[in-house]
Amino acid sequence: MIGLVIGAVVAAALIVLRLVTSDLDAGALPNRMRDFVTLATSVVIESLPFVFLGILISIVVRFWVPDRWLHRIMPRTPWLRRVVISLVGVLLPVCECGNVPLARGFIMKGFSVPEAMTFLLAAPILNPVTIVTTYQAFGWNDGILAGRIIGGFVIANLVGWVFSRHPQPEALLTPRFEAACRIEAGPSGSGSAGARPRLRRSVVAFAEETSTMLPALIVGSAIAGAIQVGLSRDILVALGSNPIWSVLALMLLAFVVAICSNVDAFFILAFGSTFLPGGVVAFLVFGAMVDVKMITLMRTTFTTAALVRLVAIVALASIALGFGVNLIA
Amino acid sequence: MRDRLLSRWRGIVLSLIGVVAIVWLAATGQLGLYIHPRYYEFTVVMAVLAGIAVIAAFALVPGAADDDGHDHGDGHGHADGGGHGHADGDRHDHDHVHDDTAVARTGSGWRTTAWVAATALIVAGTVGALLVVPPSTLTSATVDQRDLNASAALTNAAADAAGQSATDLVGSDTTTFTVKDWASLLRQGAGEDYLAGKTADITGFVTPDPADPDNVFYVARFVVTCCAVDAQPVGVPVYLPGWQSDYAVDSWVHATGGFGSNPSTSSTQAIVLEPTALAAVDQPAEPYVY
Repeated sequence: MIGLVIGAVVAAALIVLRLVTSDLDAGALPNRMRDFVTLATSVVIESLPFVFLGILISIVVRFWVPDRWLHRIMPRTPWLRRVVISLVGVLLPVCECGNVPLARGFIMKGFSVPEAMTFLLAAPILNPVTIVTTYQAFGWNDGILAGRIIGGFVIANLVGWVFSRHPQPEALLTPRFEAACRIEAGPSGSGSAGARPRLRRSVVAFAEETSTMLPALIVGSAIAGAIQVGLSRDILVALGSNPIWSVLALMLLAFVVAICSNVDAFFILAFGSTFLPGGVVAFLVFGAMVDVKMITLMRTTFTTAALVRLVAIVALASIALGFGVNLIA
Repeated sequence: MRDRLLSRWRGIVLSLIGVVAIVWLAATGQLGLYIHPRYYEFTVVMAVLAGIAVIAAFALVPGAADDDGHDHGDGHGHADGGGHGHADGDRHDHDHVHDDTAVARTGSGWRTTAWVAATALIVAGTVGALLVVPPSTLTSATVDQRDLNASAALTNAAADAAGQSATDLVGSDTTTFTVKDWASLLRQGAGEDYLAGKTADITGFVTPDPADPDNVFYVARFVVTCCAVDAQPVGVPVYLPGWQSDYAVDSWVHATGGFGSNPSTSSTQAIVLEPTALAAVDQPAEPYVY
């Protein structure tokens, strides 16, 4: 009960603070500072609901779905398992920032690290919302839709395969997260599972997952906002119509704008007429998998060395995909 | 103890800040300053669900800290006992933001202090951005960073996607045209013949034409597809020498008038709005266009 009282006091204090400050004049800040705050806040407001949804689904998977269900559904062959898990996004159309807590939930539930990576990279592209918006934006033109779907599927499974050859996949995880997984899987975890009510464990998991994800989200949003204020887009946009540079420039643009995969097709359509299709495909595949915000979120779970390798593979494969589409189209 | 406190309550406090900010923005009709209207319901529903989880956490987590048989504190004991590669160079990473409890456990006193300070900084920054700075639109500083009207193609392509071609725009009723519609027509190269006799009635904020800032300014809006981060500026050029003495950059104006060729020699715009009426107005409730 004392907890609820403290909670009510903190909530009341925050509400009063907001009411008191709402009459301040935003014009008192210099324009750039003001836009930085607006942009960073907008990334937080946009992403936060997806992160909450991802955490809630991950809690359902961890505590409320019986293990034997998953074992019955999933095939045994490793590459087939990765193929199946890369299609799970069809059932869970969560935006990419919500996929990070869900991938963590999968690892805690006993899925392997390469399987979780395959899910993390494939789900933002292979989900109905993304496919429909990409179709609305581009139709069947220039193989953009096919390039995105097939390319995303192949790259996600390629990354999963490469990391599955790692001798010790747990070494790809941050020590803290690995320790948390060991407890959940270990004998003490399952032994006392009945002793502690599931609801209480779910709530503690919510507290711990938000404690990990939200600071990363906020730091990532601040970086995204700062890049937007500091970097002029003209150069990237100008490079987008050159056969070689279009792929690289648009991948860099995808990395810095950090926009959700559900709507990035409309965003890039804005420039569609000036950009080559290969650049657009590279933007749609690379940006859905990796961007500044995703890097800070994924860093909660994977080591820096693992992330560098992951980004390198995804980037090289996206470049190859982009050049390939430019050659054909 | 401090580990456990921060490894749980940091997330609860940040969630609470986010929930209060979102619910207040929704209640005062200002969510549109940050995200596209299609996300309103989803955002509010998730904020309410997260709010319920936060209340449950305040009610249940304090008790859980006492009878908790396998929480993080216990877990670190296992991790150490397992001896699983903590010596690995790349895994023993003292990132103060992410590996906080690991650092607190292995690090010396100043490291603990450093990551407590980092947490305090993140919480303070979040409170500052979400609850102290009043909500505001993007300004002309962002127009400078993003080519004005570079995305006018969007209007046509998006209209095509919606089954409405650019020629429909040409044929349709111009009295309801927004800044975005006019900017798109000008971008397509609508000529003086087509524009002759047509009157624009538009509202937007003032931003100078970089090529001729003394004589030409734009009545501009941001087009948002997802959230303010992807906002693209569009604008209709207005020829009015000495405009800066009457209208401040970033202030909102309502302009009516016809179109004519641009008398300015240095501006790249061929056609400008010749205002018959121009008045300062308050910022509209929905400052962005979609």
